[in-house]
Amino acid sequence: MYKTIRTLHLIFGLSSLPFLLVYGLSAVQMAHPKWFHTKPAIHDVNIPMAPGYTDGRSVARELMINGNLRGEIASVQETAPGFTIRIVLPGTVHEIQYDRKTGTAYVRTSVAGFMGRLNRLHHAAGLWHEYLPLKCWAMFVGLVSLATVGLGLTGIVMWWMRRQDRMIGIILLGANLAFSVTILFLLRRAGP
Amino acid sequence: MNKLVKNLHIYAGLLTLAHLVIYGIAGLVATFQPGQARPKVTNAVRYVPFSVPGSLNDKQVADLVYRTLQLPLTRPMPDWFLRHTPDKDLLLDFYNINGIYRVIVLEREHQLRIDDIRNSNWLFLEDMHAMTLGDAEGPRMVHVWAAWNEVAMWSLLAFCVSGVYLWLSSRPRFIWAYTSLIGGAIGLAAFWWELR
Repeated sequence: MYKTIRTLHLIFGLSSLPFLLVYGLSAVQMAHPKWFHTKPAIHDVNIPMAPGYTDGRSVARELMINGNLRGEIASVQETAPGFTIRIVLPGTVHEIQYDRKTGTAYVRTSVAGFMGRLNRLHHAAGLWHEYLPLKCWAMFVGLVSLATVGLGLTGIVMWWMRRQDRMIGIILLGANLAFSVTILFLLRRAGP
Repeated sequence: MNKLVKNLHIYAGLLTLAHLVIYGIAGLVATFQPGQARPKVTNAVRYVPFSVPGSLNDKQVADLVYRTLQLPLTRPMPDWFLRHTPDKDLLLDFYNINGIYRVIVLEREHQLRIDDIRNSNWLFLEDMHAMTLGDAEGPRMVHVWAAWNEVAMWSLLAFCVSGVYLWLSSRPRFIWAYTSLIGGAIGLAAFWWELR
């Protein structure tokens, strides 16, 4: 029994290790933003297109096919000259201003550095995403989250089976649970 | 050495267990959230008598509302957060860890309309996982939680290192361990490449 649980703990941990590092490092970046430089690199380009598009998503699709842009269409807004469109990937944002009259798409792309990208990946969860790679990422996030809960549960069972650590473990676990339950209860009770 | 690392691994795990489980739950909540925007469902509506002195600007009215209502776990409204309803009444969203107190200043009726928008328990846990010490102006209880969260965050990174050490020092030839690690690394590398 102990050996099986230990193997599960090991497999949960190692399979999710790279992802946990992403989450752990990006959490440090978010908790201590001054420690890191996360200003994105920005570059601009004009992409010639056909004039007269009446649909913002068609502009975005055309840019993805012929303009070499990739990502999820995060927003489309109609403006007086044409459309403003955002195409987003974790760490990369394309802001497009399409001029219906001239057919020019002005694309401003901001690309985050390493830590900025980790930050964006940390927030890129949710099976609601339309863009397939992001949906797949969301599935992995779900699996890693399950593994994290599994690590906790298998860890606690293993600790309990190791009789020599029970007393100090009960004190540490008791402190954590007493603190957490109390704070969560008090905060939750505060309303609304 | 192995025994020391193992003990630290276990003790730190027990000391931060609730937080680590909440991290996992937060990930699952984010995964199954139906959309980017959170649902904002009003649970209760109440009215409080309130008169606006004619000499105040919107920011000063917001501050007066804040002092009058003393809504728990909220903070003063920044001026860039002031909004108006379509009827031009001042709309104040006082956020806290449980949701939003949406206050509409009904000047002509001499009332405040207060909508209680309460997040689900799952969204509450998702928000709790994100509390950091950087928010020095936040409520003290949240700040205390954030301090323990900080410990759990560093512990998570330490578990990654100590876990690998414990694996290599106890079962270095276990093939499934290599398979799991390489599988995870290839998965992350593939996403890093595809989402670049």
